[in-house]
Amino acid sequence: MFVSPSFRISKKLGLILLIALLAVSAFSTVLKVGWTVEPDSVSPFIAYNLPAAEVFLLLYDPLVALNDQEEPAGKIAETWELSEDQLTWTFNLHEGIRWHDGEPLTAEDVKFTYELFINTGLGLFSGFLNGIESIECPDDFTVMIHTAEPKANMLMGNTPILPKHIWETVAEEDLELWENEPAVGSGAFAFLEWRKGEYLRLKANADYFFDKPKVEEVVFILFANNDTLAQALKTGEISAAVNINPMQLPQLSQSPNLLAVSSPGYGFTQLAFNCWESEDSKGHPALLDKRIRQAIDWALDKQAILDMTYLGQGEVGTTLIPPILQKWHYKPGDSELRVYNPEKANALLDAAGYLMGNRKIRVDSQGNELNFRLYLRSSNTQEIKAGQMIKKYLQAVGIEVSIETVDDGLLMDLIYADAEFDMFIWGWGTDVDPTTILNVMSTNEIFGLSDCFYSNEEYDRLLSLQASQMDVTQRQETVFAMQRILYEDSPYAILFYDNEFQAVRTDLFSGWKRIPEKGAFFFTINANNYVTVTPK
Amino acid sequence: MSSRYLGNKIAQALITIFIVLCINFFLFRIMPGDPLSMLMRNPRASQQAIQKAKEFYGLDQSLPVQFGRYLQDLLKLDFGVSFMFKKPVTEVIGGKVGPTLLLLGVSEIMAIVLGIYLGIVAASHRGKIVDIGTISVSLLLYSLPTFLLGMVLILIFSVYWGLFPSTGMVTAAARYATLWRQFLDLLSHLFLPAITLALTLIGEYGMLMRSSLLEVLSEDFIVTARAKGLREREVIRKHGYPNALLPVVTAISINLGLTIAGAIQVETVFSWPGIGRLMYDALNNRDYPLLQGIFLLVCICVIVANLFSDLLYMVLDPRVKS
Repeated sequence: MFVSPSFRISKKLGLILLIALLAVSAFSTVLKVGWTVEPDSVSPFIAYNLPAAEVFLLLYDPLVALNDQEEPAGKIAETWELSEDQLTWTFNLHEGIRWHDGEPLTAEDVKFTYELFINTGLGLFSGFLNGIESIECPDDFTVMIHTAEPKANMLMGNTPILPKHIWETVAEEDLELWENEPAVGSGAFAFLEWRKGEYLRLKANADYFFDKPKVEEVVFILFANNDTLAQALKTGEISAAVNINPMQLPQLSQSPNLLAVSSPGYGFTQLAFNCWESEDSKGHPALLDKRIRQAIDWALDKQAILDMTYLGQGEVGTTLIPPILQKWHYKPGDSELRVYNPEKANALLDAAGYLMGNRKIRVDSQGNELNFRLYLRSSNTQEIKAGQMIKKYLQAVGIEVSIETVDDGLLMDLIYADAEFDMFIWGWGTDVDPTTILNVMSTNEIFGLSDCFYSNEEYDRLLSLQASQMDVTQRQETVFAMQRILYEDSPYAILFYDNEFQAVRTDLFSGWKRIPEKGAFFFTINANNYVTVTPK
Repeated sequence: MSSRYLGNKIAQALITIFIVLCINFFLFRIMPGDPLSMLMRNPRASQQAIQKAKEFYGLDQSLPVQFGRYLQDLLKLDFGVSFMFKKPVTEVIGGKVGPTLLLLGVSEIMAIVLGIYLGIVAASHRGKIVDIGTISVSLLLYSLPTFLLGMVLILIFSVYWGLFPSTGMVTAAARYATLWRQFLDLLSHLFLPAITLALTLIGEYGMLMRSSLLEVLSEDFIVTARAKGLREREVIRKHGYPNALLPVVTAISINLGLTIAGAIQVETVFSWPGIGRLMYDALNNRDYPLLQGIFLLVCICVIVANLFSDLLYMVLDPRVKS
């Protein structure tokens, strides 16, 4: 008696809902991308994370962009030339480019943007402009940039050009509180709506100067966890997903309507050591001895860690620049390469004066134990797994590790405010140009970006040398030498080069392209997929 | 008498809220870490800019001064500015309260009605197959992790049958022909998270109702009622059920307050834009004003729910009035 009427109602309701669903899912010219992290801001002076960098590629154009082969390709600048002394760059801009609000884009915008980044030093892009001395605009569509030394990475920065008429109204000291919403750019997509914690909508720029997007909108949808990401892709709620759970890849690759990739990414995960040689350092003094750091590297079975945390998707780490950057990655020779070998680790620790004590922990002659604090980020389950395995591997060679799991903010404080740590795990993303990541390890960056407080004079010398080497082969040699120094000194034990896990619907959209050849669809070196992808 | 009882209860509630206010304020500030390092991610931020940000958020003052200001602003219903969103806390929370209330309201109503009904059915068939079945299902639902249940429902209803969407509250970037369509879209998004939350609660409420009713049914006055010749149905409806409801009402109303924060798992699985997720993000970003705002809200909900259950007691149980 009780059951039948309510059952009838729910059946009817189900039918209505079904119809509603069909009615709503009919807009396929909207490209919906699911992601798990949203930008920290859409202001290039506030944002520091990768999703923000991805959105800047859509909203703004640089002077010179990168093509699918990682080579410079003109964007706002149609052509450019370098003076004979290699100190003056002249960029000839396209005429007729307009901002999303209709104002024309001129050389003054370029000068203004570069100077604002240089003067404030804020954001992801200012580092790329190091070495620029002065900028002049002989006419509306010509920009001349003078540098003190030849500048090897002048064309590699992807620095977004911003509209002067908007940003000149913001006082410099207010830049870090000014949210830039709605953002006005000149890129292929214009800012439409951002509901933080839900979605970010961008609209195709109908007046785009270059090839116009084939979709009407791009909507980035934030997922609170990456397990449902794969499900939503299967149901068609989204047409593309970044940062999929690697455990779901094998299953996704079996679907005929999906293209799932696990591709080498521009970055790595490292176990970092506190190398600060200062009275103020709160790190364990034993870690200042490079033999101990090398011993730790020998003691880790990185392949096993990679298998356990990412199902083997990725590559075991060695030197600072990931192998996807073929031109710059230095591959250690057989004599240098450290591959899992506990005996070598034990021998190095013995040689460093730390002998096995009673508690199966090594001690030096004064009775100081090898006992390190390892900080892990609570937000990253893979890093936590890796940390637990590292603890076991180090225990086996007589090093005690106490794990502390903290939130990202606290870890940043521990590292950057006081250098109060022994070891921690996190990762870096790299650019196509090697300068940014190489710079992280320079003495100059202590209390800047340096997270291991490493310092080496020869390394610092080579860093400025490579920045001015216009000849690729010469620069390559310098960059290799720098990585050799780092690998020998081992301020990081680079655990692995992480893969990107992404998947797209091939039945809803065509024209997906991996960038570069074996790369991913999104979060790569340019935004071409968003523009070329076509609704079916 | 009853107005004095009411007055006492309200006074107690206000004192509790004040104590919670104080704890909230200092608790977050003794947590390790500096909120400014999250605000100013750039290690090269100028001293001027840092000073400006400190002033903007009132972090340049000493703790007692900050506390005084906080209380003053609260009287004006000003909860401060969120560090993360750079918007007033009331505005940020306001945008998320609606979705959470909707989700909770729908699932709580379903759970209360069905849970109590199941409890009565089970208790009145004690030891029989209906009872055993109900207990087993309730126990299973009660002990099942919410996120697991959510994932299973997504798998069945979204992936295999394609009936309901699995994420969000609305279809992002959809344009609706009519308001009715928009409402249906919302309803279809609401279905799975609401069912998930309701199912876990049904188990809880069903178990509670069952044990409470069984206890009542062993009382002397029930024996009397049966001796009077009342049918078993009447015994339960007139004498058992009203008495058994009392402890269940307390449990449910306390639960009501807590589920505001406790919906966090459901909100995470279904990417539902509610308070639970907001709290998680605020904690990760050390957003003091936002955390204070949310905790205050949760605390007020618990206290109001308690007050409400006390009042409900007055209606349900005549003894309380005297």
